[in-house]
Amino acid sequence: MAWPFFGLLAMQPGRILPRGSFLLGARMTGSRPGRIWGLVAGQAASRGGRVSAADVCTAAVTAVEVSGAWLSAARGTDGGHLMRVTDEVSEELAELQLTLGEGPSPDACACGGPVLASNLGDMEAGRRWPVFAPAARQAGAAAIFAFPLRIGAIRAGVMGLYRARPGPLSAAHLGDALTFADTATLLLLDSQDRAAGDPAAGPGPGGQPADLTLHRAEIDQATGMLTEQLGVGITEAFIRLRAYAYAHDRRLADLARDIVARRVRLHPDPDPSHDGIA
Amino acid sequence: MDGQLLSETFVELTDTMVADFDVIDFLHVLTDRSVQLLEVSAAGLLLADPRGELRVVAASSEAARLLELFQLQSDQGPCLDCFRAGQPVDSGDLAAAAQRWPRFAPAAQQAGFAAVQALPMRLRDQVIGALNLFRASPGALPPADVRVGQALADVATISLLHERSMRHSDTLNEQLQTALNSRVIIEQAKGKLAERLGLDMDQAFTLLRDFARNRNRRLSDLAQAFVDGSETLTSLPPAAPQQRPSRQAGHQPRPGSPPKQ
Repeated sequence: MAWPFFGLLAMQPGRILPRGSFLLGARMTGSRPGRIWGLVAGQAASRGGRVSAADVCTAAVTAVEVSGAWLSAARGTDGGHLMRVTDEVSEELAELQLTLGEGPSPDACACGGPVLASNLGDMEAGRRWPVFAPAARQAGAAAIFAFPLRIGAIRAGVMGLYRARPGPLSAAHLGDALTFADTATLLLLDSQDRAAGDPAAGPGPGGQPADLTLHRAEIDQATGMLTEQLGVGITEAFIRLRAYAYAHDRRLADLARDIVARRVRLHPDPDPSHDGIA
Repeated sequence: MDGQLLSETFVELTDTMVADFDVIDFLHVLTDRSVQLLEVSAAGLLLADPRGELRVVAASSEAARLLELFQLQSDQGPCLDCFRAGQPVDSGDLAAAAQRWPRFAPAAQQAGFAAVQALPMRLRDQVIGALNLFRASPGALPPADVRVGQALADVATISLLHERSMRHSDTLNEQLQTALNSRVIIEQAKGKLAERLGLDMDQAFTLLRDFARNRNRRLSDLAQAFVDGSETLTSLPPAAPQQRPSRQAGHQPRPGSPPKQ
């Protein structure tokens, strides 16, 4: 599965792999984020498009061995905008939850952690989602696993997986599903960046997945600092942080460390190239 | 050793069947009680994330939490060795451990610690994490303290795994992920507050934590509201002076838990 990935790299080396990306480092070998990113990029390459959150859904269905997946992006407060489904059952499940406001996806968005409903026929599911659980079973789902696409207070959306048979995700599948969700989060934030239509941001951080699990306290702290420096919300602050790192060819963790140490300061200027060293 | 606190702690660490069980509060009880019961200055705890990464989930002080993070970032230290081997790891004199942990040992000394003991959180062949006990003065932890520390870690491990099988098989993973995300929100809030008031991250954390305690709110809820802008943290007390990495707790007390000290 790694070969389509490397094929894509050969086509767009600058875009996919800025200097210092973890994909170049030792963590590539046996690294779960690297492997998952390879699956997603391979999926994009096989359909001949650029990597998008939709590719995460498709790749996750195969890798996590589920029957289908859906992904909805957060858009302000309108409760979620359906982005991508892999099959009709997924579409029905996603729409049911949007309509009813009940189910694993809304719960995952509300609590900020995954909701793992491994048997929609059990008492707990029936008590928790009295309308949705029977409807979902009727639609053909026996288990649903919903993953909020969040980085702290940043809300990018929710990813749902369903299985036609009941049973929990194995530890390996759960780890993969969480990493697919991390990847989808970054890709959705990248697409918001592009949708904002800021030409200075160019292609955005190019969809390269920063390693979200290590070295990140400083990234989170720097993001919080930028909300004040730039006078923006937390999501915009993170997008600006990544765009700045990309534009200046810097590792996100290194830039974050400089911001926390107050060696670098960003300014509320729409053109990131005007931001400078403090 | 405080015998009554010890018995109360064992009860606390088996009490996972309560309706509002919170895995992070539970693990904070383990780190805080370790500091209160054992001859140690601080305690930190790493737990394996389902993604396969170790994560810092609890610490008795910010200094201990940062040191745990440092071990992860530098991929080196007693907690990692302990987790990988599933065996206790100790150093009674970190000044002499520079060869063993060239990055961790100096960092620990700089944080004010002279000795360390790491204990595995292990049930049979399953290792789910490790508990790090830091001492401000050099010297090995007394054997009796090592035994009690390991017993606390064992009871907590069994409770968590029991929790996983008895309630919903997925509850622990759901809660752990929620808690890890809460930790990220707190870091974001620290950054925002530090920038707004010109503080360093430790001062910002102390201020946030005290504000939450004084208003009896969960730190993660307050941090979320502050980052979202629905909480302005008006009437904040003046910035607290920096505290030594000693017996300060790094979290909200668990509801219903006995008062500390």
